[in-house]
Amino acid sequence: MRGRAGRVWVAGAVLASLVGASGCTSGGAAEPEGSVYKEGTLRVLASSELADMEPVLEQARRATGVTVKLTWSGTLDAAEQVASGQADGKYDAIWLSSNDYLRLRPEAAGKLSSETPVMSSPVALGVKPEALARLGWKPGEVTWPAVHEAVAAGRLTYGMTDPVRSNSGFSALVSVASGLSGAQAALSDADVKAATPRLKEFFAGQKLTSGSSGWLVAAYGKRGDVDALVNYESVLLSMNRDARGGGAPLTVVRPRDGVVTAHYPLTLLTSAPAGARDAGRALTDYLRGAEAQQAITGQTFRRPVAAGVAPAAGLDREKRRELPFPGSRVVADGLLASYENELRRPSRTVYVLDTSGSMGDGDRIGRLRSALTDLTGSGSSGTGRRFRDREEVTLLPFGSKVKEVNTHVVEPGNPGPALDAIRRDVKSLEPEGGTAVYGSLEAAYQQLGKGAVDAFTSIVLMTDGENTEGVGAKHFDSFYAALPEAQKRTPVFAVLFGDSDRKELTHITELTGGRLFDATGGNGSLAGAFEEIRGYQ
Amino acid sequence: MGFREHAAPVRRILGIVLGLLLIGGVLYVALQGQDHPESTATKTVRGVIGSEKSEFFRDPDVVKALAARGYIVKTETSGSWAMDQLALKEFDFAFPGSSEPAKEVAAAAGLKGAQETKPFYSPLVVIARPNAARVLASNGLATMTGKSSGTLLMGPFLKAAAEDRTWQQLPGSSAHAELTGTVFVKTTDPASSNSGALFLAAASNVANGNSVVADDAGIERTAPLMRKLISVQGALETSTDDPFRAFISGSGEPLILVYESQVASLLMQKQDPGEMVVLYPDTTVNTAHTFVPLSDDAKELGTLLATDPKLRELAVLRGFRPQDGVAEFTAATAPHADHLNPGLTGIRQVGTPTVKILMALAQRAKG
Repeated sequence: MRGRAGRVWVAGAVLASLVGASGCTSGGAAEPEGSVYKEGTLRVLASSELADMEPVLEQARRATGVTVKLTWSGTLDAAEQVASGQADGKYDAIWLSSNDYLRLRPEAAGKLSSETPVMSSPVALGVKPEALARLGWKPGEVTWPAVHEAVAAGRLTYGMTDPVRSNSGFSALVSVASGLSGAQAALSDADVKAATPRLKEFFAGQKLTSGSSGWLVAAYGKRGDVDALVNYESVLLSMNRDARGGGAPLTVVRPRDGVVTAHYPLTLLTSAPAGARDAGRALTDYLRGAEAQQAITGQTFRRPVAAGVAPAAGLDREKRRELPFPGSRVVADGLLASYENELRRPSRTVYVLDTSGSMGDGDRIGRLRSALTDLTGSGSSGTGRRFRDREEVTLLPFGSKVKEVNTHVVEPGNPGPALDAIRRDVKSLEPEGGTAVYGSLEAAYQQLGKGAVDAFTSIVLMTDGENTEGVGAKHFDSFYAALPEAQKRTPVFAVLFGDSDRKELTHITELTGGRLFDATGGNGSLAGAFEEIRGYQ
Repeated sequence: MGFREHAAPVRRILGIVLGLLLIGGVLYVALQGQDHPESTATKTVRGVIGSEKSEFFRDPDVVKALAARGYIVKTETSGSWAMDQLALKEFDFAFPGSSEPAKEVAAAAGLKGAQETKPFYSPLVVIARPNAARVLASNGLATMTGKSSGTLLMGPFLKAAAEDRTWQQLPGSSAHAELTGTVFVKTTDPASSNSGALFLAAASNVANGNSVVADDAGIERTAPLMRKLISVQGALETSTDDPFRAFISGSGEPLILVYESQVASLLMQKQDPGEMVVLYPDTTVNTAHTFVPLSDDAKELGTLLATDPKLRELAVLRGFRPQDGVAEFTAATAPHADHLNPGLTGIRQVGTPTVKILMALAQRAKG
């Protein structure tokens, strides 16, 4: 009985992540199921790439009777949930790629116990064999400065996750900042400043961004024109094994001048009930045993942490320097803020917003207003909690047709006016008219076609119903097919809300290489979905 | 973090060194008879321990031996200097890595005159891969005493640290990609973890002209160097298990501070330590793991661990040195003499600063 429940839990969590269920991933989102500890079911806030641990966890359940229910979270978001106390009572343990950032929060002291590293994987660069040949690289000799040089010369492009949402991106940011600043020890503000011009050149080559490691792989496979992928060694090797890259296997490069390695410490929360902590201990004991360690490295290409268990074939044994993670929150947050607002390519984002009559039902329009207002942040917003400096934000509300097209650009150093203007526009949204989904989407592509800035472009489509007015799906399909290649790369991130048509939205996201987010989970889920989408913009 | 501002000034030295081989044993031998053998009522006791003792309590033989003596022991791990921040009501005992955090725990739990015991101890060592050890040795920062063991020369090492010496500047390093960046020993967080705090205790002694830092002037004199030792490392973990496991998994820093027991345990469990050289710092502060009973149920457990022959034997198999157990330890580790230094030959043991001074140093070191 326990067993069946276990499978459902784990499988449910995996499914939730694929659909991008915001209720599962965002702090303020709807209550997850099982908000009370149930004997033998450990509720774990976890990094999303651990989805590949399902078979090992199933074995663990058979051996220990402990079922694991994973809820995905980005590293920074998890740190916030733990430090703020939101995680208390809701989760029994956390299992993130790293606790380094969390430990920079003094509030976290006293909340964690039994941090037990389970396995390790460095953040590496997966390079297409043809790019490797073109650059004349020998995999064992590539350094971060060499990667920078290739990118700056326009000879290498890559995809990487958003450092604010995903640890692999954050680790890559730390690695490249260390490599390009020549820092010999933990990064300082001065190191980051000194490296800023070269970091900017480096991030000009980032053509794909993502809120999670998993979607990055899918997007990379679909794109075909990106030369490399920054991700965990384990993810890159698994992708090769499963032929998910859409081409020849990537060559995994661990830069010779150093890497940042994830150690996946399974960590109990001191707020968890004693029974849960016992279950957690039984689980970690099992995972650290030889049998599980063997299975982990064989199935997931992570490196074992138990002596005497050999890493899986394909894991290069040559040693690398471990680049230190920043030792203070000021440096870590400063690095993230520079990335957001200065180093990365800017974002151009169009919000296609259904303000048809039905949005007057319940308080749908109120929830939309509040979810959008959240994205403008407040004076004290942390990094990633508001529209970025240099971001071009367009609001495109529609009913029976496009009602307005309002564009604002967030000015570096003076973000206030644009954010205020967005808030004003949001406040004036009123429900009225029918639902012209496809015509409005076409208008959004046309809007983005006008710009010449080198930017990450994306469209967010929020609708609470199906298309009732204007052109239909077929028209949009041919419109999309006729777009210039460059414009086809603009993904649509669609949000399921109210009575929206899942099939319709799935079609749109699959066609454009976007992703579907579920905001049907009650209060807060729309805000959660919008927040989560930020990682993909 | 673990240190509280109002900590009584009277607190004595970390004491660690002391208690080791001392009195405890004598006192408790008298009590020993009582709970032997086969108590019928089995007690379940929960404890918070330093991570380095986790494998001991997980060991099936230890579980069995404790069960035969009437105990089911469940443990969770925490940095020793952070234990006083936990909800201690939930635990029957605490077992930090040395005696001073034990006092903090007793104070936080509102206990007076708790019957502490010091069942075993383990010196700190620095583990390295052969490449790193060879480069240190050929540059006068270490001496090799065997194929897989040696001594870290704290004087020259600290001088190199003070000069921000990098591996690249040490001849012999260039063939090894992993040997780049500032030379440092990866420690745990000295403000929350015992091993990190004790490393500062030993280093500050050397930096203070081989005397215990005992006043503000001493803090001023040594703090800049302590800051270098810690700040270069960036993020700090709270337990030695993390950097130790990084080493085992083939990643991690070139030089990592762990307890001798972590290495000895691997060796005695016949697990392959891989390419590992064990460097004993030539100046060290020993650490007597100190058992603090928090409830009546665990009152006798510390004594049992310290005196029961079977449990002492099992502690040795997990790499610990029991009270008055040099002979036991030396005999048991004889096959592993290439890695270990059972007699601590050539190692100078020094006293530690008071808690107040040590924590002030830790705070200064973390900046």
